[in-house]
Amino acid sequence: MKVLLIEDDTDTSRFVAEGLRERGHVVDASADGRDGLFLALEAGYDVIVMDRMLPRIDGLAIVKTVRAAGIKAPVLILTTLGGVNDRVEGLEAGADDYLVKPFAFAELLARVNALARRPPMAAEETLLRVGDLEMNRLKRTVTRAGRRIELQLQEFKLLEFLMRNAGQIVTRTMLLENVWEFNFDPRTSVVETHISRLRAKVDRGFDRELIRTVRGSGYCLSASP
Amino acid sequence: MPPRSLLRSTSFRLVVWYAAVFGASVAILLSFVYWITLTTVDQQINDSVEREMAVLIEIYGSRGLESTERAIQRRLADLGSPRRYILLLDASGKRLGGNLSAMPPIEGWTVMEVPREASDQPSRGEEMTALGRRLANGEFLLVGENRYRAEKAQDAIILAFGWGIAITVLLALGGGALLAVGFLRRIEEINRTSRAIMAGNLSDRVPTRGGGDEMDRLAVNLNAMLDRNQALMESLKRVSDDIAHDLRTPLSRLRQRLEVARATVATPEEYGVVMDQAMAEVDAILETFAAVLRIAQIEAGTRRASFSDVNLEAIVSTVAETYAPVAEDGGHLLHATISRPAMVYGDRELIIQMAANLLENSIRHCSPGAMIAVTLTGEAGAPVLCVSDTGPGIPAAERENVFRRFYRLEASRTTPGNGLGLALVKAVARLHGAAVELSDNHPGLRVTVRFRSTGNAS
Repeated sequence: MKVLLIEDDTDTSRFVAEGLRERGHVVDASADGRDGLFLALEAGYDVIVMDRMLPRIDGLAIVKTVRAAGIKAPVLILTTLGGVNDRVEGLEAGADDYLVKPFAFAELLARVNALARRPPMAAEETLLRVGDLEMNRLKRTVTRAGRRIELQLQEFKLLEFLMRNAGQIVTRTMLLENVWEFNFDPRTSVVETHISRLRAKVDRGFDRELIRTVRGSGYCLSASP
Repeated sequence: MPPRSLLRSTSFRLVVWYAAVFGASVAILLSFVYWITLTTVDQQINDSVEREMAVLIEIYGSRGLESTERAIQRRLADLGSPRRYILLLDASGKRLGGNLSAMPPIEGWTVMEVPREASDQPSRGEEMTALGRRLANGEFLLVGENRYRAEKAQDAIILAFGWGIAITVLLALGGGALLAVGFLRRIEEINRTSRAIMAGNLSDRVPTRGGGDEMDRLAVNLNAMLDRNQALMESLKRVSDDIAHDLRTPLSRLRQRLEVARATVATPEEYGVVMDQAMAEVDAILETFAAVLRIAQIEAGTRRASFSDVNLEAIVSTVAETYAPVAEDGGHLLHATISRPAMVYGDRELIIQMAANLLENSIRHCSPGAMIAVTLTGEAGAPVLCVSDTGPGIPAAERENVFRRFYRLEASRTTPGNGLGLALVKAVARLHGAAVELSDNHPGLRVTVRFRSTGNAS
């Protein structure tokens, strides 16, 4: 995967770039807004990761320019701690996801992967399928190996998100944001509780576990072990 | 008020312009009056000369030259003062009568200097308007009138002119200076307040007069801005105080732990354990930090800009559904009763967090077996969210304190938490103009959030 990283903080930049390269991605790193924008417009990238506050050209301005130029590459914005309004502004400007600094590398990796593999127009699909698990979004039904599984509304939303990102790691924070609209860290085990209930319905009684816990990162729903 | 700053003030410059425009108007007006007056006076002089000429020609025509000469003498004697000038010459140019000495005959209208011998005041160089006519037998008759009247009118008008312009300009400048001084005084008040604030007296404000004029409105707006900034700064100061007091403890603990580990840990596995612990602690500190900043941001009120109509009923039922299994796993029973649809004008994300915080509070502080009830009802058109439990509750004396940042009851010191949950609830409620109230649930705690009805919230 070809990733453009625009980040002026050298420590963060090195931390992210080295981590991504170790996992086999090609990373172009730029430390200022103007060079970053130039690269974003000139070279085709699969994902653009950029800081919200950049020297010379601001992050939001870059997103807007890139989008205006018709470039569809997903953009992940890195915001500073507590900059709650940054997130809304970033998404409004055309960014696809955001991450608050400081972050765990696993979190960034999971989000970059999710963005890069996000199939276009996925939101419109009615039928989702992972192995023998099937979901009909219109009828709100889920079956596994032809057997009907009854899910509560929240379990359904959780499973839908996992199926959309099948084969990829989704972090706890990604689930909180996308399934529950929680943009904060709850002090109780909300995610763990719901995952375990979902698991009980989806995986119990089947040979192969579809929902796996990835230690230190999050969860992964996949048909292959 | 130093004169230099008065002269440089915008209002004074404006006044000078006004004075110039007024002065020019007065000048144009007086020029017009001058022109009309002089024309009228000229006309009167001409009429008078023509009448005299007509009378003398009439006498000449009916009674002959001799009678005309006598008539001239008589008329000049009657007039007494030499305002009127008459000269009668024979065909050869020899003087026959009148009060002027012989001169070359000029027919028609002329304006000429009054000859020295005929003038009252020879030094002044008087002028007269004269009419010359050739008579039937070749004699020449000249009738003239002193232009004294016209000159007097002219002088009077020029005098009025000078005074008029001088007074206009003086009044305009004087009034303008007064205006500018008043204006500058109010500007100076604002400057003084700015200097006082820069010098550190943050609570100083621009005095207002309650007149509702532009300057008053400016002062009121400036004061409102200063109030807002002061509130923001105080909030910021509280945040830094909180951080200084309450993040130092976990950071010192972390440092001690690392120091001990450095001295005692030997194997890579043990290092791994210490690293994991340290990271978990750093995460907790960062999370507390984020929560403090978030509360500060909410208290700053900047999020009001992104308010919209929010379906409170949907939020409360979703959050209750989210926490029902969590409560169940903790051995509690969570029950939600939503009796009416409710819309509030607010921040969806924050209302979700507020509802979540209230439920988590009950789940975390109750020992297993508690009943947790969430109700959404309406009182007088305004939605009321109520979360109650049958847990330990909060003693009446402590109920106000628990809204303070980092405040934790003795009884809950051992349960994990950062003491920011209710502070955030309070901040979100205040942002929405809602009132939060803690009461006794007999037993347990009841938290009531009274929203304002949609439309009234600002």
